[in-house]
Amino acid sequence: MMVKFVTDSCSDITPELAEKLGVTVVPLYVQFGDDVYRDNIDLATEEFYRKLAESKVIPTTSAVTPDFFAQLFSKLGEETTEILTIILSQMFSGTYGAALQGKAMVKKNCGIEVIDSRLGAGGQMLLVISAAHMAQSGANLDEIAEWVRKAILRVHVRMTFDTLEYLRRGGRIGKAQAFLGSLLKVNPVLSINDGGTFPVARPRNRAQAIDFLVNFAKSFSHIEALAIEDATTPDELEMLAERLKDLVPPERLYRSKVSPVVGTHVGPHVLAVSVLEAEH
Amino acid sequence: MVKGLANGQTLKEMFKAGTVWLEKCAPDIDAINVFPVPDGDTGTNMLLTMRSALEEANRDSNDSAPSVAKAMAHGALMGARGNSGVILSQFWRGLAKGLGHDSFNGGDFARALGEATQAAYQGIINPVEGTILTVLKDAAKAAEKTAKSDPDNLTFVLESAVEAARDSVARTPDLLSVLRDAGVVDAGGQGLYVLLNGALHFLKGKADKIQYWKPSIVASESALTPKTIPASAKIETPYGYCTSFVLEGQNINLKKIRKELAKKGQSLVATGNGSLVRIHIHSFEPGEILNYATNLGKLHEIRVDNMDDQYIEFLKMQKEKLPITDMTIVTVASGEGFLNIFKSLGNAIIVPGGQTMNPSVRQLFQAVESAPSDNVILLSNNKNIILSAFQVVPLTKKNLKIIPTRTIPQGIAATLAFSYDLNLEENARFMEQATTQVKTIEITRAVRKTWLKGLKIRKGKPIAILDDKDIIASGDEMPDVILEALEKSGTEGTKVITIYYGAEVKATEAESIAERIRNKYKSEVEVVEGGQPHYDYIISLE
Repeated sequence: MMVKFVTDSCSDITPELAEKLGVTVVPLYVQFGDDVYRDNIDLATEEFYRKLAESKVIPTTSAVTPDFFAQLFSKLGEETTEILTIILSQMFSGTYGAALQGKAMVKKNCGIEVIDSRLGAGGQMLLVISAAHMAQSGANLDEIAEWVRKAILRVHVRMTFDTLEYLRRGGRIGKAQAFLGSLLKVNPVLSINDGGTFPVARPRNRAQAIDFLVNFAKSFSHIEALAIEDATTPDELEMLAERLKDLVPPERLYRSKVSPVVGTHVGPHVLAVSVLEAEH
Repeated sequence: MVKGLANGQTLKEMFKAGTVWLEKCAPDIDAINVFPVPDGDTGTNMLLTMRSALEEANRDSNDSAPSVAKAMAHGALMGARGNSGVILSQFWRGLAKGLGHDSFNGGDFARALGEATQAAYQGIINPVEGTILTVLKDAAKAAEKTAKSDPDNLTFVLESAVEAARDSVARTPDLLSVLRDAGVVDAGGQGLYVLLNGALHFLKGKADKIQYWKPSIVASESALTPKTIPASAKIETPYGYCTSFVLEGQNINLKKIRKELAKKGQSLVATGNGSLVRIHIHSFEPGEILNYATNLGKLHEIRVDNMDDQYIEFLKMQKEKLPITDMTIVTVASGEGFLNIFKSLGNAIIVPGGQTMNPSVRQLFQAVESAPSDNVILLSNNKNIILSAFQVVPLTKKNLKIIPTRTIPQGIAATLAFSYDLNLEENARFMEQATTQVKTIEITRAVRKTWLKGLKIRKGKPIAILDDKDIIASGDEMPDVILEALEKSGTEGTKVITIYYGAEVKATEAESIAERIRNKYKSEVEVVEGGQPHYDYIISLE
């Protein structure tokens, strides 16, 4: 029986791709005051940023509940005995802990693996996609879980920001706080390292920041897959895709948008490149 | 006249007199400016370096000549400020090497001067003739020649060296076109001549008298113009002593006190009324200040602090606030705005200093030592500080990389290129590379009138310097000079123009200039407070 996959909405995996790969995406929540929205279900990225610009209240986010996972695992357990769950870094959200608790609540005799991806967004997405591909070629839960745990170290994420204010406000700034408070205008580039944000570079303007992302991707000699994402700048995403098109075959270059929950913490104008480096 | 053997005590006395003479002449040497811009004060730098050398020699009780010279060499190195200070410290290292025996005669001294010349040349990566190096070489040659015929007469040997030095200083404009163009002689060579001449005065038994003499230096063909540097007390590096007290008297003339004290020191604050005045001043001679004041009334709450000690305290204080990292960037900067910018970019330790305030090797060393990590990157941010920065490398046990930045924008570019992802070597490489990606335009006011490369330069009017090398624009109106400078430096490929405005400039003025630039160029233009002294604007093109 084939392995079933679960991930959360912060993997930014598009609904089409998730459906094609048989991945269940559990939504986190974004709240504007009293209004609660399921990430990427009740609220799409474009609409979210429109609300963000107009709203007087600052949105907040919340994790998936253990109950939700328990019910989902029980339901999936009727169809399979092997479930692999890949969740965004526990440094960003309590969702990983909830998934573990949910697993403990399931009474069915079912193999459930919960992995902290120590990543988020496109980086997490690449792990989910590759894992699903392995299942399609017949790998079992143990094999896939082991592969994912090792592959985490081969995923490299770089994101450029117009401002780190959203990361700071949401308390996800981590080590990148070294870049806070600059009296000069910079377009900081961050990575996700050891599960948290990490300061990488400070180009002086947007064009230099995009150059940085391109040169970063080009610095790898063997790339298995690439994911690129924007928040509010689809033109830049296309430009980025154009500049990176020679690095991987088109079917392994994944385009996406940051989800509203991710967007709450990264703000508008974010642009990200995630690389899954090939095994040496 | 000293014949026969001299010992370490004599050596010390010689250069004590030399230093007194240097002190007399330092303001005149400071006034020698190659470019009509406020520049590093060579006379002051050499004087401070010699003072540090003598202090070290006084701490050492051993009176043998090599021992005294070694102590002087160490003191000179730690106290070295600016390029001339570093070269002076190498002079002493060579002299210490050359003086092999407890006492010396003229022949020994001549040989030691030869060693000093070698050491000085070896310390410079690209030695340039027409500078202090040439003057030293010529002096040593003359000394050697005299020593051949009269090795026992130290006075004769030094006298011939001094005469040769004087002639050599006068010839420096023939060897170095920048001196010729500016109509000046080399300031460092001048300083060495003065120092040796002072030492000669001692040998001739005139040491007690020189403090009453008028300073005399080698004149250039064109007249020297004294510099007018606006003092910005806030950012002045603390050198010497901070003296404060309350003066109680009758009919105290506050205006007159201010005028008199301003001549004796910096950062003067004098407040109060006719009977009670509170005074605060920075100077090298606290005794002189107190002497003056005791003639006016009674003194209370007298306090004299050594500001070098305060500086160490200041570093300690900074250290306690720092986060723990495995790499620290130490930066030289002046101007409130720039201090804040560098701090905001994560440069943990900032050594106050810059164009006219060159920090000593000791200050740089202390800053490096106070870094909370073993890996340290030091940004010089001024061409006159690069050589001093490199002197710190063999002194510290830390892994130290020098990024020889010549301007503040280069320093900022280097800082922005720093990555937490990279190790020390990689960071140093990328940071140095980043400095080549930025152009710097510095706008200052001409301190004298002159013609340079077809540009008419009028005293007090704005001039623009590209990458700390060439004057590329001058004129009457600030905005015109800036736009012309941008035109001439080439803005192709420039994405960001950053305007750092100085202590004397209002934000609104800077903003209106930025608006004119925005109308003309596509680049982003950012206006930031630099608060730097001497330069109205420092502009970076990235």
